[in-house]
Amino acid sequence: MIKISYKLPDEKDLEAMIGIVGKKYASNNKAITASYLAKSVMGLESQIPDIVIRPKYVEEIRKILIYCSAEKIPVSPVSAGLSGGFACPTIRPGGVLLDLGRMDRIIEIDEENRYAIIEPGVTNGTLWAYMHKNHPDWAPPIADGAPPAATVMGDAIDRGFSLYTSSVGPQGDNFMCGEVVFPNGDVVRTGSWALPFAKPFYKYGLGPDMWSYLMGSQGTMGVITKAAVKIYPHPKYKTVIVWGMSNPYDMQDLTLEVGKQEFGVSNHTVMVQGGNYPLVMARWPKDKIPHNYEFFKEIGVAKWWMNWETWAQTQEELDYCIKRINSIAKDFKQNRAKDPDAIKPQELHPKQIASRMKKPNKIAIPYSFWEAGFLFITWYTPWNECAEFAEMYNAEMEKRGFPPVMWIASIERCRQAICMPIICFDSTKDEDFEKVQDLNAVTTEYGLKRGWLNYRPDPYIHIQAYYQAGMYWKYLRAFKKMVDPNMIMHPGRLALP
Amino acid sequence: MAKTGMDRLQELKKDIFKCIHCKACRFAYSGEPDREGIGEFTGKQGTVLYEGMVDACPAGIEYGWEAFWNAGKIWIARSILNGDLEFTEEVRDVLMPCITCGQCSAQCENKVRTVDIIESLRAACKEAGVPMIDKHQLVDRLVKELNNPYGGKADERFKWAKDAGLEKYIDNKDAKIGYYVGCTASYRQVEVAIATAKVFEQLGMNFTLISDEVCCGSPFFRVGAVDTAQELMNKNLEAFKGLEKLYFSCAGCYRTITIDYPKWMPEDQKLPFKTQHAFELISKLITIGKVSFKPNKELKGKVVTYHDPCHTGRHFAVDMEQEMIRESKNLMFDMRKIKERQEAWFDVPRVILRKLEEDVGIKFTEMYRIKLNSMCCGAGGGVRAGYPDFSLRTASLRCDEANAVGADILTTECPFCWRNLSDANDLYTHGLQVMGILEMISKYNLLDLKEKPTQKELLE
Repeated sequence: MIKISYKLPDEKDLEAMIGIVGKKYASNNKAITASYLAKSVMGLESQIPDIVIRPKYVEEIRKILIYCSAEKIPVSPVSAGLSGGFACPTIRPGGVLLDLGRMDRIIEIDEENRYAIIEPGVTNGTLWAYMHKNHPDWAPPIADGAPPAATVMGDAIDRGFSLYTSSVGPQGDNFMCGEVVFPNGDVVRTGSWALPFAKPFYKYGLGPDMWSYLMGSQGTMGVITKAAVKIYPHPKYKTVIVWGMSNPYDMQDLTLEVGKQEFGVSNHTVMVQGGNYPLVMARWPKDKIPHNYEFFKEIGVAKWWMNWETWAQTQEELDYCIKRINSIAKDFKQNRAKDPDAIKPQELHPKQIASRMKKPNKIAIPYSFWEAGFLFITWYTPWNECAEFAEMYNAEMEKRGFPPVMWIASIERCRQAICMPIICFDSTKDEDFEKVQDLNAVTTEYGLKRGWLNYRPDPYIHIQAYYQAGMYWKYLRAFKKMVDPNMIMHPGRLALP
Repeated sequence: MAKTGMDRLQELKKDIFKCIHCKACRFAYSGEPDREGIGEFTGKQGTVLYEGMVDACPAGIEYGWEAFWNAGKIWIARSILNGDLEFTEEVRDVLMPCITCGQCSAQCENKVRTVDIIESLRAACKEAGVPMIDKHQLVDRLVKELNNPYGGKADERFKWAKDAGLEKYIDNKDAKIGYYVGCTASYRQVEVAIATAKVFEQLGMNFTLISDEVCCGSPFFRVGAVDTAQELMNKNLEAFKGLEKLYFSCAGCYRTITIDYPKWMPEDQKLPFKTQHAFELISKLITIGKVSFKPNKELKGKVVTYHDPCHTGRHFAVDMEQEMIRESKNLMFDMRKIKERQEAWFDVPRVILRKLEEDVGIKFTEMYRIKLNSMCCGAGGGVRAGYPDFSLRTASLRCDEANAVGADILTTECPFCWRNLSDANDLYTHGLQVMGILEMISKYNLLDLKEKPTQKELLE
């Protein structure tokens, strides 16, 4: 890694920031800066920033970036959440944190062209409630499992997972056009938005597509200030179909058979996600839930399972999907399963179905209840390697005394898998932190050898991925140099200094 | 030896480290994105969309910075415990404008005891030598001199009783039941004290007012002056020695004596008497058919809504949950029981309101944010004294919500909520009538006693 010296902001710099956004919206109060820490969920590397600024307007951001670039002050933008994507908390060496929570306008909803234009601070909860009230036949592609205060944009910039991901592809693909402020002072609009009078109707716009350089950028290139996100119908006919099994291979192979249909049922199954029984167990305090599988078996939880959340415009369509998935599953059970006896449909109570379909939800939050803290270490693999991933990772977790909690979901009809081990640990203990880091290092080494990718590479362990992709990294760095000549944006991320 | 704020903070360390900074705690109904509401309403404090989840942390709404929302404070606590942050006046100024309403704890999926953490942080801040803000220093001085934070003379604490012809209840030696009046009802909202005592009298309850009653300590537990609070606690425990049961009309006093005292008492001691709020008694008597209400022309057709005081509503519900979690062997199975018990708890005042609807002809209408998700009145946590403008803006937000459902009367069961809502109602011209439920019953002479409660019913 190339090392660059940065300046940490002082009182004079704070005065300059106050001159841009006003006294009310720039602070170096130590309690305020400490409140932006977030050593959990998506990373453990968070550091206290030196100054926090809460801009409201694009022009304010432009001035802040120009100033910080001239002074070589690092800048980390967060959309409003603090866990991932465009919401990575500040890491070493600190500097300025841009809290974009005040930029929270839902600018436009266009049902005919099927997009919503939003600012970075728009949360899943706000956009969902707004559309539920004002555009009830349409829904935004919010991240399933991300808490209501997470932002739509934060998830998108990770290319992440949305409630339509299995059907339409990664969350990043749901974004049409964006507006970004670069530290060189330029404000660039991408896709068809590059033309002053165009609607955000075509992502690839004038071409070549610049938006894709921002996907997965973790705030290292610039500050995205507006984006147009696709919206989708929110039909009345919905259900969740679940099949249980005893091992990850049967889960993987059966799911692939449905996904590979590509048309019909694959398009109706908007969200396809599954996991193992510890995914249920670890949502409760360690000492207040049975650990043996027999208990979960009794209450109808399979060792492994897959959910197909299915949306359709008519009951007929929905019935067709249910029938089709069930017939594929039965055929798989009879002819190709490793453990056919364990392959069974799971009957869900209507309340369970309603609960699984609720968006946004708090389903991913309570893994801290197990002890005190958790970390998602998420990877992308080809779908037909996700079972191997799960087996390897679960073994490594158990070796270190962590419950083997594994969640797996399909992206784009099982082209990719998003594999998310949930490391439930006691963050009050230093030794647990060390065990988590060791687990991460060992599994990263294994994963990279297998050609798997981190969902949001952390700046220290996963960073090896960029060193292995040398030529790609060279051009990534060149692009950054062009838009961020003094390399001030979120230094350390993506192995960019 | 008395516990310190830092002791409590250390006890709560695991809770603090459970916070993942998901920020669900900023919303009411954080788990109900599709909740049907009443749509958008523009009130005196702006426009709110009462649908799905709604921002509900008063300090966060007022100040905006992450540090003022609950999650930010939990990470401040973590920084303190990790030695990354020291207590200073600028840290104190971030910690103090929190109403400790507990909306955050009700939302937390990891069951982090947020109110306890914030109160302990404040106590630890004071212990670290950081002075309290001026207004809090003033009330601390007053309570040390006069045993109440309002500057009222000790011998005038029960002047309201003398003026209302209720003197015979002062130090009534025969009674096993006490009425703990509290400072706000004694010195400010005497209507609440008179109404409660008169209702007790109508019920035939033999009760006593204890002239050695002092401030319950609530404001001091809340702002971190735990030494003062513990001193007051010891005085009250001595004063109420020998009583079997204590009734309350103030949500704050009830919460403090029931929930806080056991936490700060030596571990081998328990509260020596039972506690109950007056509205619980009336609710129970309605349920067993001993109390109903008389029709009233003036009230007939009036739209009445109810504000759940945080101290009797959410704080008790969260405490219940914590207790059941501690006792549970299989929480997955017991969680439903917890939810049922909480729901039953929030229904207690609603039993009275539904009966008033049935007998008196009021129209009882709920606001959008109720029960566990109720929006705070803005008075608690030392905020009314320390940050009066912010406190009244918060109360006005709550009055907006009452306006949004077309309420004529906004009822509550806490004199401190009453005071703040009433002041905001006047200041921002919301056009509401703010009233305690018991006050309404007493003022309009609504009580229709079918059968006097037995001593057992009063004591259990």
